[in-house]
Amino acid sequence: MTTPDDTHPHPGPHAVEVRGLAKAYDGRTVVDDVTFHIEEGEIFAILGPNGAGKTTTVESIAGLRTPDAGSVRVFGHDPLADRADVRDVLGVQLQESSFQDKLTAREIIDTFRGLYPDPLDTEQLLGQLDLDRVASTRYAKLSGGQQQRVSIAVALVGRPRVVILDELTTGLDPQARRETWGLVEDLRDSGVTVLLVTHFMEEAERLADRLALLDRGRLVAIDTPAGLVDRAGLEQQLRFSTTAKFDEEWIRRLPEVSGVARVRDEYIVTGDERMLFSVVSLLAAHDIVPGRLQVDQPTLDDAFVALAGRPLDDTLEVTR
Amino acid sequence: MTALTTLTRAQIKVFLREPVAVGFGLVFPAVLLLVIGNVFPGATEVSPELGNKSLVEIYAPAAAVLGLLTLGIAMLPQALGLDRERGILRRLAVTPAHPGLLVGAHLVVQAVAVTIGTAGAVLVGVLAFDLPVPQRPGWFLLAFALSCAALLSIGALLGALVPTAQTGVGAGMLLYFPMLFFAGIYLPLQVMPEGLQTFSARTPPGAAVQALSNAWAGVTPTATSLLVLMATTVVAGGLATRFFRWE
Repeated sequence: MTTPDDTHPHPGPHAVEVRGLAKAYDGRTVVDDVTFHIEEGEIFAILGPNGAGKTTTVESIAGLRTPDAGSVRVFGHDPLADRADVRDVLGVQLQESSFQDKLTAREIIDTFRGLYPDPLDTEQLLGQLDLDRVASTRYAKLSGGQQQRVSIAVALVGRPRVVILDELTTGLDPQARRETWGLVEDLRDSGVTVLLVTHFMEEAERLADRLALLDRGRLVAIDTPAGLVDRAGLEQQLRFSTTAKFDEEWIRRLPEVSGVARVRDEYIVTGDERMLFSVVSLLAAHDIVPGRLQVDQPTLDDAFVALAGRPLDDTLEVTR
Repeated sequence: MTALTTLTRAQIKVFLREPVAVGFGLVFPAVLLLVIGNVFPGATEVSPELGNKSLVEIYAPAAAVLGLLTLGIAMLPQALGLDRERGILRRLAVTPAHPGLLVGAHLVVQAVAVTIGTAGAVLVGVLAFDLPVPQRPGWFLLAFALSCAALLSIGALLGALVPTAQTGVGAGMLLYFPMLFFAGIYLPLQVMPEGLQTFSARTPPGAAVQALSNAWAGVTPTATSLLVLMATTVVAGGLATRFFRWE
């Protein structure tokens, strides 16, 4: 299922445009007919379990892979044919990429700085990414979070208009992860288009303006995080407990409610988003005060399960 | 050009922070020559069994080639394997610079280091053991440049193919020790049986030692030795360029 994605509100080329992308390794299809575009200035996330084809998709955008079929454009340029044009506007933070252990953070940024025509200032980047205190520390001696920030600095040093961040926060502790999220939001606020690759649901939900769900090489859906949840058509769940005696049928008869279950004195009501008001009104009309009232909104996790037909992988469960 | 300068500058720092590379590449040829000259009795005396040369005279060019082999064959493949394994080459591929420039930077640094190492060996020979300075300086420089090109090309070819630093070490060692033999490090070329001598002189390390030693002694290097070095450069360099694995 490929979502038609032809809306084009802005004149000029999209920041990134991927059409009918396909790639197989040794006969095994990794990316299958993937189509999407990224608007300039948005944070676009590609979300999916390990092996969904996320990295192959972004590597094709970065010009590191030759697609078997389909086309990729970065601000209208083909990453393979117009290599130079794309390199100047695209910053990349690769998933499994590191730097020389024996160089310091400052030396690494300085080195990459020398490769771009109009780079940012090294000291400014060090300050922005809170690396000034460790600027003279060798890469090997930096913490995981600091190494990740060096990698971001290197992705940004060439003043890119689009930046790819692949599995940016994998392996970071929750504190470092939240700080890194703040950096990504700062990036968007400064006008840089961000393509975020993640298998981490909370990250996509928090950061992405729009996101693409990828599973087994195929595009499952593209929408805003809220839009995806809506699209999955998931219901809300309301829980409350009461010892008051009342007929479950009162609730069941409400048009917004699709089901009621009862476990001892706890009731679990499912239905659409207007259900909460109806149920509470009904209870109030009968002078019942519900205890331990709790509403469970469907999450992006639930939406992924509904849309892809299976949960995100186990590593997600561990990291949460 | 500026990108190559930038990467070379970074690579110089990486090189200088590797004590083993500095020790073996820069100082070892001079130290080896000092040890041989001082430990072996009569090392500075001309001996008929050694083709009317002294032990020091023989080992001075061999020590220079030893430095070249240590950096180019034993260490370069490992360094390139590491750059590949750690994704450094891949990382460069997404910048405006071609990752080949990093390989170029490695070669520049190695060539400079080997030049310093060789200069050290020449200085020790001249100052400590009264050897004459190389008698045919033009030929000596040409022989040295070709030796560098040939042996670094072989190292680059190994480095082009090995997936990791570890395999780079293995592949390098596999060639390093036989090459030390053909360079006459274990046993001077002059005392080898004649067939082996001829064969050694046609291997890249043997040809390098012979060309350098001839030019030092004031004899024009043989066409064979120069051709061996040139052919090695073209073949190994060509294969390395053709089959270089960027990831």
